[in-house]
Amino acid sequence: MATRKKRTPNAQNDSWVVVAADSVIDSQKKNSDPAFVKLRNPSTDAASLYMFGSGDDQLYEVKAFEEDFHSWFLGQTVQQDGKLLFVTPMDPLYLILPYLIKSGKEGKFQPVDQVFIDEEFPACSRLLNCTRSLASLHHVAEEKEVGSLKFHRYSRDRTLNWLKKKVERTVIALKKRNISVGEGVKSTTYVRVKPESDHHEEDYLRYAHGLISEYISEDLSKALLQHLQLPELTSPKDTEPPLKKRKLSDKPVEAGEDYTKFNSADFARKPPKKMSAAQKSLAKVDKTGMKPMSSFFSPKVKAEKN
Amino acid sequence: MDLGPFDADNSVSCRLSSHIPDVCKTEDCCLGIDEAGRGPVLGPMVYGICFCPVSKKDDLKDLKVADSKTLTETERENLFQKLDEARSYIGWALQILSPNTISTSMLQRSKYNLNALSHDTAIGLVQYALDSGVQLTEVFVDTVGPAEKYEEKLSQLFPGVKVTVRPKADSLFPVVSAASICAKVARDRVVKGWNFAEQLGEVDSDYGSGYPNDPKTKAWLLKYLDPVFGYPQFVRFSWSTAQTLMDSKSVTVHWDDDDEDGEKAAQRQNNRSMLSYFSASSGANDQTPAHQPHRFFTDRRLKSLDAL
Amino acid sequence: MSCNSNVIRVLPPVGQEQRVPVHLMPCEIEHNGSAQVSEYFTATMKDRKHEKTVSFRGRGLKGQELSCPQGYTGLVLKEVNKPGSDQEDRTVRISSVFNKLTYWNLETPPNSDDTIVMAMDWPELAEAIHGPVDD
Repeated sequence: MATRKKRTPNAQNDSWVVVAADSVIDSQKKNSDPAFVKLRNPSTDAASLYMFGSGDDQLYEVKAFEEDFHSWFLGQTVQQDGKLLFVTPMDPLYLILPYLIKSGKEGKFQPVDQVFIDEEFPACSRLLNCTRSLASLHHVAEEKEVGSLKFHRYSRDRTLNWLKKKVERTVIALKKRNISVGEGVKSTTYVRVKPESDHHEEDYLRYAHGLISEYISEDLSKALLQHLQLPELTSPKDTEPPLKKRKLSDKPVEAGEDYTKFNSADFARKPPKKMSAAQKSLAKVDKTGMKPMSSFFSPKVKAEKN
Repeated sequence: MDLGPFDADNSVSCRLSSHIPDVCKTEDCCLGIDEAGRGPVLGPMVYGICFCPVSKKDDLKDLKVADSKTLTETERENLFQKLDEARSYIGWALQILSPNTISTSMLQRSKYNLNALSHDTAIGLVQYALDSGVQLTEVFVDTVGPAEKYEEKLSQLFPGVKVTVRPKADSLFPVVSAASICAKVARDRVVKGWNFAEQLGEVDSDYGSGYPNDPKTKAWLLKYLDPVFGYPQFVRFSWSTAQTLMDSKSVTVHWDDDDEDGEKAAQRQNNRSMLSYFSASSGANDQTPAHQPHRFFTDRRLKSLDAL
Repeated sequence: MSCNSNVIRVLPPVGQEQRVPVHLMPCEIEHNGSAQVSEYFTATMKDRKHEKTVSFRGRGLKGQELSCPQGYTGLVLKEVNKPGSDQEDRTVRISSVFNKLTYWNLETPPNSDDTIVMAMDWPELAEAIHGPVDD
């Protein structure tokens, strides 16, 4: 009988599978090489991995597709790490914006290169080298020219208008790509019941707003929601209605029991005797999702016949 | 016996059959079922049926067919030759369960054990005979498991047919002996001439009987163990002999259902997307509540990286 | 300051870029290095109706080919002599390229709800989120 083997962590991976925009490789024909860099993620404020194309003229975002229990066959080799990286062109303004907002608090017009000082992420100054950066600053800042010098000051109004256009572009892409935006939970058993055309325009707007919010601060995300004239939902963290979630947890704890016979104080104190079917399935689901450590040591049960 | 159809793709199950004698379509017939190659760690398991008119039972006896296990390979080949010569009143059909079918069935998420596989195969062959117009009235089955339950199951499935399930039926009823000879001959030929789909060059065909306790088989299994792939499809991965060797000498492979039993796995399949939603959100709750990626990303298992 | 200043340079392939078959397996294989993929795996793959089939370690897999999104190329990057300290910059090199990959599910037929298929939505959505907006 085979014993269940513990998963040993991948020792120092030195190989990566990437799907990259062609411009990443095309740019290599120029003189300098593209490079991965760490920059401040505008949404989390922590370090994230990005890439500068050759000569810094294009910024790229790096996202990893990663599912548990996956590995690669690459030609005649095995790579244990099953991640797939996506390197996609990124609008540098999203990364520039937090620096502008910070310096804009003083309300002064400033030379833009003085804005990018970040001890933790010195590479941030390279953002200004991107071809699109200076040409698109007017979307988020007011500009003043004094002689040959340019000065900028963060503009919240301009920024919100710019973000609104981003949301609109995203809505178009979501529709074109036929991406399901209506349901809080995507489940093969539920999702296809409702045809895509039935989705309310608001579902698209909220979904797109949620995507754009991945690139801006929470504060700006809320302001954008107002700007789009979308009311904030009761659960402020969730930008989508958590429909299915509520359905599960809002079910009466024990439908068979008549709670009216308890007074309210009793009711509040009394713990549910049994779990409802919904709770049980929820408990099961949670357990399956988070594999207990002990399971790695339990014997492997495989059908066996010699 | 033309093994061509199986050799063309020996990764799947395959049915071979004789011409159906005309007399079997008009007269009451008896049919025997037996299997060959249940125990070996190598090669296919073959299920065989043989049938003839009830009135020809004595002729069959005169051919001196006996339990295939008591015969040498040459004797079996000769007897199969005789059965073939009697094709005007004897018909047969075989279901070859490739080792790959056995492995993938037994190791399936919702486990499909060898008994269930055997029963379904036998039932499929009887159905084939009926569908081909054979006038079945009696069926004799050899079994290694409990006979009564199996007999009841078959009787219910085939009303109007008298079903007899017996251990050692292959030595009691000539029509079962005939089926066992057909099955065993096919199994021997397939194993002998195994067509490796893998590009392994010249493969040593001295694999012995294929039974796990045969030293030749053991030596072969050691010789042909690949550190990543384990074995060619000729080997039944679900046998503990193969599993143990891979556990000790090959790299470890983890599957998402490693510690689940069949029922749980089936449920997990149904709840897959639901589950991922909850585990994703509960995972985020453990961390700082500051940022939970949009579900576009969590649905697609996409995330930002902080290092390469 | 330390490691955040580090950049990882991406070098072009040496000479003619190598094209390799790429398979995403539905299991974790505790191995980094050579394997007889073409001899054991590619050689036993079958093209059935609507799907490819193969088995790995006795388990049945079903899969399909997936092309890289329009305008995208698959790359395999390999680290070039990893530096001893994390103060030094690192370098990776493009070791091979691919335009399509084959992904495999454990027993489940491939379909458009598979996460890897959905993940391929990303570049087009990214273009909407990051493309320049009109004035």
